This record gives sequence, structure tokens and C-alpha cells, in this order.
Amino acid sequence: MSVGSFNHRGVWAIYRFEMYRFLRTIWTGLATPVITTSLYFVVFGSAIGSRMSDIGGVDYGAFIVPGLMMLSLFNESIFNASFGIHMPRFLGTIYEPLSAPLSPFEIVLGYVGAAVTKATSVALVILATATLFVDIAILHPGWMLAFLVLVATTFCLFGFIVGIWAKGFEQLQIIPMLIVTPLTFLGGAFYSIEVLPEPWRTITLFNPVVYLISGFRWTFYGSADVGVGVSLAATFAFLLLCLATIWWIFRTGYRLKS
Amino acid sequence: MQPVISIRNLSKRYAGGHEALKHVSLDIRRGEIFALLGPNGAGKTTLISIVCGIVTPSAGTVEADGHDIVRDYRAARTRIGLVPQELHTDAFEPVWSTVAFSRGLFGKPSDSAKIEQILRDLSLWDKRKAKIKELSGGMKRRVMIAKALAHEPDILFLDEPTAGVDVELRRDMWALVRRLRDSGVTIILTTHYIEEAEEMADRVGVISKGELILVEEKHALMRKLGRKRLTLNLAEPMETVPEGLSEWDLTLSDDRSELRYEFDANAERTGVPSLLRRMSDLGIGFKDLATEQSSLEDIFVSLTSDRRERAA
Ligand SMILES: Nc1ncnc2c1ncn2[C@@H]1O[C@H](COP(=O)(O)OP(=O)(O)O)[C@@H](O)[C@H]1O
Ligand SMILES: [Mg+2]
Repeated sequence: MSVGSFNHRGVWAIYRFEMYRFLRTIWTGLATPVITTSLYFVVFGSAIGSRMSDIGGVDYGAFIVPGLMMLSLFNESIFNASFGIHMPRFLGTIYEPLSAPLSPFEIVLGYVGAAVTKATSVALVILATATLFVDIAILHPGWMLAFLVLVATTFCLFGFIVGIWAKGFEQLQIIPMLIVTPLTFLGGAFYSIEVLPEPWRTITLFNPVVYLISGFRWTFYGSADVGVGVSLAATFAFLLLCLATIWWIFRTGYRLKS
Repeated sequence: MQPVISIRNLSKRYAGGHEALKHVSLDIRRGEIFALLGPNGAGKTTLISIVCGIVTPSAGTVEADGHDIVRDYRAARTRIGLVPQELHTDAFEPVWSTVAFSRGLFGKPSDSAKIEQILRDLSLWDKRKAKIKELSGGMKRRVMIAKALAHEPDILFLDEPTAGVDVELRRDMWALVRRLRDSGVTIILTTHYIEEAEEMADRVGVISKGELILVEEKHALMRKLGRKRLTLNLAEPMETVPEGLSEWDLTLSDDRSELRYEFDANAERTGVPSLLRRMSDLGIGFKDLATEQSSLEDIFVSLTSDRRERAA
């Protein structure tokens, strides 16, 4: 490796290490989303969905699929990325990447890259499970994948920050439980915000998750509660905020180096 | 010859305000075994951690093989291997994978032959498939060493390699360190055992309360460490040390009831028998006498007070 060059082997070592941990528990890792999704369909799809009319011409069961995928994507991204960096901090093994010839960017790429892979896989498994229950046509598959990876990257970066900020495993759970899950449920995962009466509809527009779910649903059905451009802009803004925070973390050594 | 590590004016103040290192300057020679000797809390781990990039210095610079550890960190770190004081391991990883992981982390292409050789050298080959959690403490420490050597560093830091290790493993460790040195690796180890520094090192640096108080060839230091003190409990207190005893470097205790004589226990003539003869010639009686080896504590105290006197 020459001086100043990209340490691709170092990034790969971290990525592989993280993926192995995932693969060791692959069956529980994938069984959980499969079972949860199936339950959602049994409850929402069949029990409630049969009494719900179509939303914007889309069958209710199909309508909730993008929201279900996003809900899991948020949680899996934050969980995997925060756990991935928190674990070596907790065990003390973080000394090794910190003393290796790796730039902060390369360290983040290894950990966050693996978390993105895991979270995206889980979301795709949910999509596959959903096709067993409802017919799904994806209008813009390319955009769908791009959106999935973009949102996963953003939330994994956010999870990375949580993993560095957290002082223990309880704190690791707090953010997803207290902030992300409620915002997702209130963010139009299971309904169109069109159905909300004022002032709730306007208030909901302050929930960033609305933009993500709406944008993602557009890649499926071509219809959205808010403009796709706005969705993308909001996602990128959050992504940049996370990147800036991580840049600050490595510059100051915050909770990584004393 | 250019030093392999060059530390200039290194200081560290932790967030809590504690000053763990104070203006430390030190050169490590290529190919030597250097022991950093000091009591707990002296700043040994802090010093090592800064050189390895785990702790940020408050002031000062470090160069490894001519590369600044901050500006040119890739080149510097590629040359350095670290075995930390604590046994930080991934319990569920097999020995082979964790060593291969370390090699990859440092940007080296995978090389099974190299890893096999490292594992064999450390008597870990039979355990290559074992999970780390199944290994004994001593074996875990070997795994840590294997990880540090995986990227073939020129400079190896061993932070208290033999703390809490049984005698047999300690001997093994010493033999291993010598073999590494013979293969051209520069070794910096920390310890709070004088015997360990004596056994292993070419040169010794003594650190206390964040200050590097001396750096010396091991043999020169051992002469200092070999000093003993004779205490004579006088039958009659005396006002001053009598003229007739001026040949010996004697000190009188504050209460004037004890005479103290420091001597080199390794020397051909310690001066003790002649002193006792002279005293009996002069009719100076004593009730009791004792000798004691200067402890590491004593040496720290005398070294720091020497420094203060020189500074004053
Ligand atoms: N992360 C830290 N934050 C605050 N103080 C620390 C930290 N690490 C070490 N210290 C303090 O710095 C001093 C030197 O510690 P250390 O370098 O570990 O000494 P040694 O390795 O010689 O035992 C000690 O007083 C210790 O309490
Ligand atoms: Mg220490």
C-alpha cells in the first residue's frame, strides 16, 4: 500500500468481519422480518384491508408494502450500524481500526457499508415475503433500489453516530424506540396523509419520515403525498447532516479517542 | 543512525484535566529492546497510545521511521504493531480469522503462509480453529501478539506483556521478544518490574508521574539500582559526622541517632567492613544495624529529587 492511497483491504476487512457476524445469525436475522411481515398482512391486509377501499387506486395490502419496507429499513439501519460500531467500543477492540492505517472515511465505509448491505437485504426479503400475499407491480424499480440504498445509507450514518454517542446498550435502543418508530407510524406508513383532517395533515408535514415513505411509495405506484423532488432533497439534507456530524466526531475524537 | 522513533516534547492532558505526560522527549534506536519502566499511572500506556494513534496528544510531535504520526499517519502506522495492555478480543472469532483480519486492516494482501508462520512461532497453530473465548489468558495474549505481528511491523509495542502472566509464560514471552529483535524488529515494552527491564532491555527509560526521568543503558541503570543503604543505630547521638569518617559519604538522621551509608552492592569494595573497623577504632558504638536494597520507589524518589536539585 503506498502512502496516501486508499486502503481498500482495510475497508474490506471491516466489511467482511461485519458481514460474517450477520451471516452467523442469518436465520434469526431474516426469519424475524419474514414473520413480522406475514403478521402485518394477516392483520392489516386481510382483517382490516378487506374493509378498506383502495387508496389512490392501489389495493390497501399493496399500499402498505413500501411503508413496511421503510419501517424495517429505518430500524435495521440504525440497529446494525449502531451495534456495529458500539460493540468494538464496548469490547475495547476498537483500538485496532484506530491504530491501523485507515482514514475516518475508510472506517465509516467499512462499518456503514456492511450495515447498509444488511438493512437493504432485510427490506428486500420483506418485499419478497409481501409478494406471497399481494400483487405488487413496481413502476420504477431502478429508482426503488436507489431510494432504498440512499435511505439505508442515511440511516446507517445516523446509526453510526448513535453507536458512538451511546454509553451503553440501553442508550442504543432509546433512539429507535423513542423517535424513529413513532415517527414512522405517524409518517403515513399505513395510510395516506390525504385522509387526515386538518390541522393534523399540516402537522404531519413536519415529520421528515413522511417525505421518505411518500417518495419511496412513488417508486412503486407513481403517486405520492408530497413531491418526489422534496423527498429526495429532504433525504440528502439529512445525509449531509449525518456526514458533517461524523466528520466532527473524527476531528475531535469524540468518544472514540481521548 | 536515524532513530526509529523520535518523540519531541510530548504532553498529554486528559479531558478531566489530568496531566498524564509532561514534555517527554525520547529517541528509540533501530533494532533495540527498549523498556519503559514506571509504576502504575506513570503514563506508560498514554505514551504508547499516542504513538499508535489511539490517543490524541495535547502538544509535541512523534515520528515513526521519519514519518509524522499525524500528518503522515498511514506510513507511520503501517510500520507499527501494538499489543495493548488489556486483552481486548472478539470472543467468537476463530484465531485464524482474527489474525487474518488484522493483516487486512493494515492493508496487506492476504498471505496464508505468513499467518501460518506467525501462528507456529507463537505455538498457536494447533489452536488456529479455536474460538478466542475457548483460550486461556496466556493463549489470548499470544493471539494479541499474533494480531500485532500479522502486518509484519518493524516496530512492536508491548504494553505490560507479562502482567498477570505465570512464570513459564513469562520466560516464553522473553524468548519470543528476543527472537523478534533478532529478526530486526524494534521492541518497546512497558513494565513495572525492575527484573523484567533487567532481563530484557538494551536500554531503559524510567517514567514517573508523566515525566521521563532518565534514559540509560541497562547496565548503567542496574549499577544505580544495585545500591544498598546501611543504617547504623548509634549508641550515643552525635552532633555531626566525625572528621575521622569523612572518607565515607555518610548522612546523619534528623534526630541524630542514626548514621546512613549508601553503597554499591555490586562493587568489589563496598566500604562497609572498613567503615565498621574505623568506627570501632574511634570508639563510636552502635546498638543495631540494617541494610536494605533501594526499591524502585526509592530510586524514583532519588531520581526526581536529583532532577529538582539540578533544576534549582
Ligand atoms: N482516558 C483517560 N482519561 C482520563 N485520565 C486518564 C485516561 N487514561 C489514563 N488516565 C490517567 O492518566 C494517568 C496515566 O495513565 P496510564 O498512561 O494508563 O499509566 P500507566 O500505563 O503507566 O499505568 C493515570 O493517572 C490515569 O488515571
Ligand atoms: Mg498502562
